[in-house]
Formats: sequence, structure tokens, C-alpha cells
Amino acid sequence: MLLLPLAITWFGALALTPFDGRRRAIGLAAVGILAAAYLALGWLAFQVLTSGPIEMIAGNWGPGIGIRIRADALGMAFALISVGVLLAALAYEVLGGVHERTLPESLLFMATGLFGVFMTADIFNFYVFFEIAMISSFALASYGKETRHLRAALTFTVVNLLGSVVFLAGIVGLYHVTGTLDMEVVSQRVSGVPAGSVLLIAVLIFVAFGLKLGIFPFHSWVPVVYRDTWPAIAAVLSAALANIGSYGLLRFGAGLMPRELDLTAQGLILIGSMSILYGAFQAVGARSASGVIAWSAIGQVGYILVAIGIGGPVGFAAAILYTIINALNKLVLFLAVGLRGWLVGAAFALAAFSVAGVPPSAGFFGKVALFRAGVTADSTALLVLIVLGGALSLLYLFLLYQRDYWSHPAEVPPSPLPARILVLALAAGVVLLGLWPEPLLALSAKAAAVLPGGG
Amino acid sequence: MNLVLALVISVLFGSGAFLLLKRDLIRMVGGVILLSNAANLFIVSAGLSRGREPIYPLPPGQTVSDPLVQALVLTAIVIGFGTVAILLGLIYRASTARLPAGEIPAEPTEPAEPVAVTEPPVDRGAG
Repeated sequence: MLLLPLAITWFGALALTPFDGRRRAIGLAAVGILAAAYLALGWLAFQVLTSGPIEMIAGNWGPGIGIRIRADALGMAFALISVGVLLAALAYEVLGGVHERTLPESLLFMATGLFGVFMTADIFNFYVFFEIAMISSFALASYGKETRHLRAALTFTVVNLLGSVVFLAGIVGLYHVTGTLDMEVVSQRVSGVPAGSVLLIAVLIFVAFGLKLGIFPFHSWVPVVYRDTWPAIAAVLSAALANIGSYGLLRFGAGLMPRELDLTAQGLILIGSMSILYGAFQAVGARSASGVIAWSAIGQVGYILVAIGIGGPVGFAAAILYTIINALNKLVLFLAVGLRGWLVGAAFALAAFSVAGVPPSAGFFGKVALFRAGVTADSTALLVLIVLGGALSLLYLFLLYQRDYWSHPAEVPPSPLPARILVLALAAGVVLLGLWPEPLLALSAKAAAVLPGGG
Repeated sequence: MNLVLALVISVLFGSGAFLLLKRDLIRMVGGVILLSNAANLFIVSAGLSRGREPIYPLPPGQTVSDPLVQALVLTAIVIGFGTVAILLGLIYRASTARLPAGEIPAEPTEPAEPVAVTEPPVDRGAG
């Protein structure tokens, strides 16, 4: 039962591999498979949220020997948003017309990797599923076949391969100092290890996930890749795959190495703040639509890092909530940028309001959660930063709206209506979550309670 | 032994990182291979212990070497193969797309225009 979503996407991807994904029937079959897996995930998440974490040990091994698979509220929250993004992006591509035969299978393989990452309780298994998701993202990044797509894909692949090597070194370091791969045992034993060696490992893991998230000192690949990849792929990379970064920081930082997280909290807040300001100012100066959103992505993940740095129940809940809302915003923005015609401008505007944190969109509650975290941290500078970041995002997104949707009315033929309706429905969902945010707030609080120091 | 391993890992990692920064794509792949092998050696060195081979039944009173790192490094090698294969595939695509002399194409001077999903260019010949 625990492995049902994973099994559906894995076998579904294998079954679709021999066929040409450009055919509409294959695309629709992939949407059906992913939707079935998502339903299974929703049912599993319901069980987890109502009656506590579900756990199993792979291959009927005894406890302490086999690999543990564990579904808890934190993993479920991330799986729900990330695979939801994949489902929306796949439906969008199928409605608009798939260009390459490998797209549906690659997205299903990526969903398998994401399910695994968010449900494993073993650090090496985490690496394996992380690589499954990464390898399918390397295949997806070149989607579109033009020179700029290939260029973006090569940059993305090489930078992230380097990140994977660093991450593997961090994992192996954790194994070396604790003698185990099980997350729970690691978290018990790591406090008995000298702080110096754990700090080095923590830095390696932070660099790997920081690279994945695209925060300020590791951001150099982000603008090129998000600007030049296909819009739906940019949505997948920034709104689904990047979530591994924030999940990893929460799981490894707050879950396994809380002492090191406390030690470096000020540094995280500083890096996050630089990321917010740098991303926002660059976005004001960027010219193309996807360029603006790409730079904005660097600023938005800065907020997540600041919230993790503040820590505690309020900070972790804010980080999770902001990750979910940021993923939804990025999804709608990138998909809307790829479309032309009636309804698209409205969807873009709704998501842009959400990024800036204007009520009644979901982004408003993300900003409120950050504000609460800033009040908890008792820091005026952080509150000013959050307001300034919000104001700047309103500025750059409406400069973009003015350039793209007001100045060139209907020069290009409009995109297929179903794809436009899908994007507008997603944007309406963002507003709906802003009008009725209780489920989202409860989910993020429950997810934060999984972490030590987050309950 | 530890010192030798540390030196080998550092040399592999250093030369891998150096090659990774080259513009030539094939050298870049070489860099990736060296880097992933540095990581593999690092895995082996993390569980380095003296002892008999860990095969059941064990003679009593003897220490065995750590078997887990063998499993880990095997997995990491397979993943490394997979990523290198994907990377070579991408480079093949780049070379068939007539990019100049197997190099990463230069950054476009003008920011790319957003792509409108209107009519998908159907290309059933390739891919």
C-alpha cells in the first residue's frame, strides 16, 4: 500500500517506454497513469495525516537491517505538491501537443524518483531516488531540440552532476561518522560525534541542496536554464524538482543535524536575504518574460532559506508553506509564459499577485507565515526585507505584464484553448487556496511537527 | 593506506574539476567520469576496515571487513554509468544539431523570446 504510487508510476513508465509519446493516446495514457498514482498518493496522505506515519521495511528484513520506507506528514506535503506539478505540466504538454517521444515516460520516471525521495527513511536510498529524478530531468531538459534548449540542458546537467557528487560525499561522510544509513539512527548517533566533522558534512550537504534550489552563491545555472528551457520543463524543474532542495535542507538539516543547523542559522538567514535582494534586483533588469521569472525564482527560494534559518515550529511551517505556494506560483507563471491568447493574461496576473503576496491569493498567506517567523525571530531587518522583496516582485512582474500583455495585443495566433483553460484553472486554484487557506496551513504545521524542534 | 586513498581521491577530484571547466564537451565528459570515480573511491574509503571477507558462515572470533560499502559503491557506479550515458546522448544531440565544433554554443546576445505553444513542429524523422 505504501509503495502503490511508486509502483504505478514505475511500471507505467516502463510500459509506455516502447511507444511514441508524441501520439495523443500515449500522452493521455501517461496522464491517466500519473493521475491514478496521484489518487493513490492522496489516499496515502489522508491515512498519514489522520492516523500518523506509516512505515515498512523493504524485503521483509528485520528492523535495523533492511531499508525503511516511511510516509510522514513532511514527505506527504512535498510529494503532493511536487507530483501535482508534474501532473499539471504533463496535462499541459499533452493538450498543447507533445514534441518528443520521450516526454511522457521521462515525467513518469521523475514522479517515481520524487515519490521515493519523499518516502524513504534511508540516506543512501534517498541518494538513489534523487538520482532517478535527476537523470530523468537531464533527459527532459533538452526538450524542444533547439540550440538554446540543448545549451540549457548541458549547463543544467553538468552543474547538477557536480552537485550529485558533492551530495554523495556528504552522505558517505554521514555513514562514516555514524556507521549507519538509517535516518532515525543517524539522528540519534550524530549528537555523539565531534561537532567539527559533522559541520563539514553539513556544509557539503548544504552546498548540494543549495545548488539544487538555486540560492544566491550557487545560482549561476538558474537564469540560463529556466530562461532557455521549454516553458513546461522550466515549470517542472523550478516547481517540482527544486522542492528536493528545500525538502533535503529540512530533512537533513532540521531532521538529522539540528545542532549544526542552530550553529549556522545566522549564516543561512544572511545567504537567504542576499538571495532575495539579488534575485529581485536582477529580475527588475531582466528583459524576456522567462528571464524575469527565472531571476525571481532565485529570490523566492531565498525566503525558504530565511524561514529554515529562523527555525522552530513557526519557521519550519513557514518554509514548508512557502515552498508549496512558490511551486504553485512558478507553475502558473511558466506555463502562462508559454501561451498566447485570451485568458492567459488573467492567469498570469493572478499568479503575479500571488508572488507579490497580495490578498486574496495564496501568496498572501505565504508572506504572512514569513512575517510571523520574522516576528518570532524579533528582527526588524527581516520584516523590512520581506516587505521590500514583495514590493520589488510586484514591480518586476507588472513591468513584465505591461511589456508582454499590453504592448503586443494578439500579434501571434492564440494557443490551444484546453491548455489555456488548464492554466486559468490552476491560477484560480491559487486564488481558492488564498480564500480558504486552512487545509494548507494545517498541512504545513503538521509537516513541521515531524521535525525535532518543529513541533 | 588512508593517506594513499586521500591523495588518489584528491588528484582524481582535482583533475576532474579541471576538465569539467573545459569548453570541449568530450573533455568535460572525462571530467565527469573522473569526478564520479573520486566519489566512488571516497565511498570505499569511508568503510575501510581490516578483516576477513564477510561471507557466511563466519569463523568465530574474527573480524570482517565492512560489506555495506561494497553494495553502496556498486550502486554508485551503476548510477554513474547512467548519468554519463545521458550526458553522451546530450552531446551527440548537440553535435548533430550542427553546433560549432563540439563546443557549448555561445550565449545568445539578445534574450530569447518566449515560445508560444501554437503549432507543434512535428518531426517524426528523428528522436
